[in-house]
Formats: sequence, C-alpha cells, structure tokens
Amino acid sequence: MEIPFIVNARKDTGLFNSKVGIWLFLASEVTLFGGLFSGYLFLRLYADYPWPERALPVLPGLINTFVLIGSSVTVVFAWAALKMREWRKFQIYMAITLVCAGLFMVLKGIEYNAKFGHQAVRLQGGGPVQDNAIVEGHLHYAELNDEGLMVEVDEDRKKEDGVFKANRVLMEASELTFVLTRPTHEAYVKEILKQAGSSKIITLADSYRVISKDELNAGKMNRDQLSNTEKASIADKGEELTIELLDKLEDAYLDARSYDRKIRTQFLAASWDWIRNEKGEEEASTYIVEKEIWKDRRAEDAEKIKILSLRAPSEVTFKVDPPFTLVLEPGDLVKKVNVGDLSAKLRDDTLVSGKVLPSPVIMGVDALDFRTTAQRAEVEGLDPFPVIEGTWLLTHEAHHGNHDGHSEGSNVDHRNEFKKIWDCHMAWLRAETERLEKKDRVPTLNDKFRVNWDQILAYGGLGYDAEKVYEESKARTLKRSGLFDLDGFAGANHKIHGKKFPHLEIPRANVGFESTFTPKWNTYYAIYFTITGLHGLHVIGGALVLGYYLFFGRKMYDSNPEWLANRVEVGGLFWHFVDLVWIFLFPILYLM
Amino acid sequence: MADSIKEVKKAKKLYLFIGTLLFVFTVVTVMVASVEWLDFGGHGFDAMDATIGLCIAAFKATLVMLIFMHLNHERPMVYFFYALGLVMAFFCMWLIGWSISDPIEFGNESYSDGFYDPSKPATDVHGR
Repeated sequence: MEIPFIVNARKDTGLFNSKVGIWLFLASEVTLFGGLFSGYLFLRLYADYPWPERALPVLPGLINTFVLIGSSVTVVFAWAALKMREWRKFQIYMAITLVCAGLFMVLKGIEYNAKFGHQAVRLQGGGPVQDNAIVEGHLHYAELNDEGLMVEVDEDRKKEDGVFKANRVLMEASELTFVLTRPTHEAYVKEILKQAGSSKIITLADSYRVISKDELNAGKMNRDQLSNTEKASIADKGEELTIELLDKLEDAYLDARSYDRKIRTQFLAASWDWIRNEKGEEEASTYIVEKEIWKDRRAEDAEKIKILSLRAPSEVTFKVDPPFTLVLEPGDLVKKVNVGDLSAKLRDDTLVSGKVLPSPVIMGVDALDFRTTAQRAEVEGLDPFPVIEGTWLLTHEAHHGNHDGHSEGSNVDHRNEFKKIWDCHMAWLRAETERLEKKDRVPTLNDKFRVNWDQILAYGGLGYDAEKVYEESKARTLKRSGLFDLDGFAGANHKIHGKKFPHLEIPRANVGFESTFTPKWNTYYAIYFTITGLHGLHVIGGALVLGYYLFFGRKMYDSNPEWLANRVEVGGLFWHFVDLVWIFLFPILYLM
Repeated sequence: MADSIKEVKKAKKLYLFIGTLLFVFTVVTVMVASVEWLDFGGHGFDAMDATIGLCIAAFKATLVMLIFMHLNHERPMVYFFYALGLVMAFFCMWLIGWSISDPIEFGNESYSDGFYDPSKPATDVHGR
C-alpha cells in the first residue's frame, strides 16, 4: 500500500503527512518532558534536605551541550545537502551527527559510572541533631582473615575471589531459617552455599514432615503416629541444603496449605448454610463480620479444623557446622543491624541466626557535608557550628598515623584528620567571608557547611595547617580544581588522588544510611537519572533513525531525492527536540 | 522554509550563525554560574542566577525552534500541535502543584516549617 502525501503537501493541511505525524509526536513529547520538569521543580521546592546544588561535574555536561548543538547544525546541513542533491555532503554531515550522538552517550556513560561508584554515608550518633553529617567517597576493599574478621586489602585485588567492598555486614552464621510461605530468593541460597564452600556443612536441623491427607482421612492413627509414617516424611534431619531441597519443601508446604484452606472453606460454607437455614439470609451474612455473635460456633469449627488440617510447618531451619562468617550486602537486609545482634533477616524473610561481627564501612573520603546537621541544628534553635564540632566525624579518636601505617612523630596532634580538615575549612571560610564582606556579600550554605574534594586536596597540600590555609585563601593562592581541570573530569578522581583522600573507618553503629549516588540516595538523583536516562534513550532512538537514512537511504534518494529530504527533515525535527530538552537540562541539573 | 537551491544556500549561513550563537550563549550560561564578576544577585547560586540561566536557556530553545525546526514559517496546524503540547505540559505542572497543595495529605504547614528555611541565612562565621 502506498502512503499518500509523503513527498508533496496535502492541500488542506499544507504539510506532507510525515510532518503532521512527527509534530503530533513532538507535542506528546513536550507533555512528557514538561511533566518530568514539573516533577523536578516540585521535588526541589519541597525537598526536606539540602538540595545538592551543582553536584554534577560541569565539564562533561558542557561538552555534551556543545556536542548536541553541533549535531543540530550538522543534521540541518545534511537536510540542506539533500535539498541541493549533494549525496556525498549529506553522508558526511549525517556521519558527523552520528559521531556526536556516540560521543554524547560515551560522556553520559562516564558520568553515570562515576555516580554508581561513588559512595555516600549519612552518619548517626548522639547529640541534639543525631549527627546527620554526610561523608562522600570511594569504598575500599576487604577480605576475611583466618578468624573470619574483616581486613582491608589493596584495591588492585578487587576482582579476586573472596574480596568484597568494605561496606558489607559480617555475620557469624550458625543457623538459617527459610520461610516456606513465599519463594526463597535463589540468588541468596546460591551465595550462601558459595560462601560456605565445601568445608562447612549446612544441614536440616529437624526432619520435615507433613501428614498425608489420605492417612489422616482414614482415621486409623493419631497425629503423632501419622507424622511418623513413611508417607509423611518429606526430608530427613541432616539432609544438606540445596535449592532443589528447598523447592521440594516449599511444594510440600504449599500443597498442605492449599488442602487446609479447602477444609476451612468447607467449614465456613457449612456454618453459613446452617445459619441461613436457622436464622435467615440476612443473619448469615453477619457470620463473617460479627465475630462476637458467633464465637461459640466459630470455636467449635476451629477445633474441628484443627483436627482435620495437615498443619505443615511454615519454616524450616538448617544448622551450619561449623559456624562461618557470612558476608551480606547491606541492601539485602530487611533492616539495619548492629554489632552483637543475634540475627539478621534477608529480604526474602530468610533469618540468619548467629552473631553480627564488627562490620565497619571503610572508605577514602572526598567530601564532608554538614548541611543537614546545620539545618537540623537551626530547626532546634542551635548555633550549627558547635553542633558540627560535636559530631562523631570530628570527635572520634585519631589513628595518629596515616593509612600506610607511618607514625606522625612524637609531637602527636590529637585531632583526627577530619577535624584538621574542618579547622582548615573554617580558616578558609574566615578568609572567604572577609573577602565577600567587602563586596557586601555572604558565603553560601555550600561554602559554610560543605568541604569539596578539591578543598580537601588543597588543605592536605598545606599539611592541614589552618593558618597557612587562611593566609593562602586571603592571598587567593590556594590551589583548587578549576572547571577545566581534567583530574576531576567526572568528580573526585580516586585513581589519581586516592592516597591523598583521608581514610575513614565507620563503625556500623554510626552508619545511619548509605548508598551510592543512585536514586536510593535522594530524590535529586531519582529525578536526575529519570530525566537524563529518558533523554539518553531519545538520543539512541534518534541516532538509529538518522543512521538508517545514512546507511539505507541511497535507494530512496535514487528513486526520489525529495522523499529522502522529507524523511531527514522529520528525523531532524526529532533530533532538534532532543537538543532542545538538553538546553534546559544542562543549566537545571549541572549549574543550579 | 527554504526550498529553492538559492534559499537553501542562504539558509545554511543562517544555521551556522545560529549554531555559533548557541555555542556563545552556552558559554555565557556557564560563566554566569561560575565567574564571580558575572555572578548577579547574591554570592553563589540564587534566584537571580536561576532566572538568568533559564532565560538564556529559553532564548536558546527559541532559536532552535524558530530556525532549526523552521517554526518561523510553519503552517498553522504545526503551531496548534505545539501549543497543545505546551498546554498539556503546564497542565501536568498544575496537576502536580495541585496534588502537593492538598492539605489533607500534606498538612497545612508550609514546606519550610520543620525544615531549613532557605530565605533565612544560616548563622555566619562571625555570628557564632
């Protein structure tokens, strides 16, 4: 079937049909992105935490803006080349457009990768505002030693077996209880078995038995006798944990539960009929809701149901011999645990019993953020600075040596590294405040309560000497990263500066909330990934369409060059829209 | 829209000029956000910076729409579709605002109650 008006315009609309189509589609796109921008606006206005202003590295975003603007020019040039019947030039301009699309996605990938690998921890502690200081950085790696405790290892070994990120929860597991009412998450069981290895045995603590309904209905034995028959045996004590065994137990439990429900329904229906016959239709309906009126009848039914049901156990426990240290991802736990806790529940309701071992979060810190602490302090009517000085981060005991183990000498400074950084920051803030006051201005919240990675490096470069920091800041010679510094292209670069970032070991009790910079961390990252992810998909979609014209458009060009020109114009309109969205995204997400 | 070869050639110069303008205004946006002598309003990011940034973005978007997307000489139907999209986008914004202003769900207190009030500066370094 030939589609009409794809080369020449219809008289009534004045447009060729594909153009009508693309504009209708773009109208729906305006609505879609308009809704998302609205979402961003309201999330920001109603945020109950300090919004991460200028949290993204500007340079990749700026390059991507140039790339998209450049591609908008080349796509319109490609269309012009077709209009002038210059096939070769069309190929060149379209190829440049596709290269730009590729470059855009590569830069986006670098930016996303940096966010996925960047860790944030909100600390918790005592004090009037429960601490709430935030540290950002890069997780270190660890492994278990012979005693089953965590020891830090070099990052070069991160791909080795048994090496894990140093934010895991360690649990000395002696018992595992699986819930049969829902499917066990196979990945958890596989991981547990993998970590147990061949030297630890995980076996069924007690035989799992379910009374046979045939034998029960025969009425020849009591329940104890029934549960000891061969038919009742599903799995014997001492059987080793496997996924197949768990599946078998789950099937047996679900069969029994289904039978029990059938029995309950039968009794309910019988009681209903009895009331309806005795008291009438209206009274019967009260049996379900008016528990008090029919409590005798209910109790009678419950007794009978108890006798006639199979009542299979809904949980099954396995013993771990000898107990071993299980390394659990914090995100796999239903709720936070603390050292010394005797159990931890996984998200599939599996209960790991034993003892939670010391499980500190170990990281290289590249930013300190006290804005939430300050915000909470002000709400309480307190001066934020003394509250910040009292946080765990600034008051915990110093190691008196860097993480390479070298001593700092006999004249020991009792401040920990973070307190030294904060003191330097206060010196910088003093100089900055004095400078701004001359211009009738004041420092921002970020200036006051946030220490960025480039500031940490600058303070470290001066040996954390607050006086020097003040002097250099006053003279404006303090060396900080600039916008075009490639070392910090996608934020703090731990490959280059890793050793210069302070080492922090956070006891599990002080970890309030932790996450990488993903939607889990806050609504800013939720809306950032939603909008930029959707925009990225549009870039890929647009590039595919334009690529089709480049690689398969010759036949169309030979048959009717105007037809291809119209197609490219339509594809180009979509591409310009993609550019248009980015024109707003760049300042909103990167600069504001 | 440029249809004859002569018009297309002329239009190419315009596209190049608009492309350059877009580059220039992108640089201006970044400078307003990062260079101190171009930082209008208070120090750092504030409402003035947001207004300037969004005005420049709106200007750039208008250039793209008018010149690259040929909205400067399109048929009325296209304007209708575009306006429809914008109306729907503003409707979405109103809808979200309306739902957030629901006092039953969100309470009668304003957003700054109980949280940091951005209109009040935090205690400064000399004021402690």
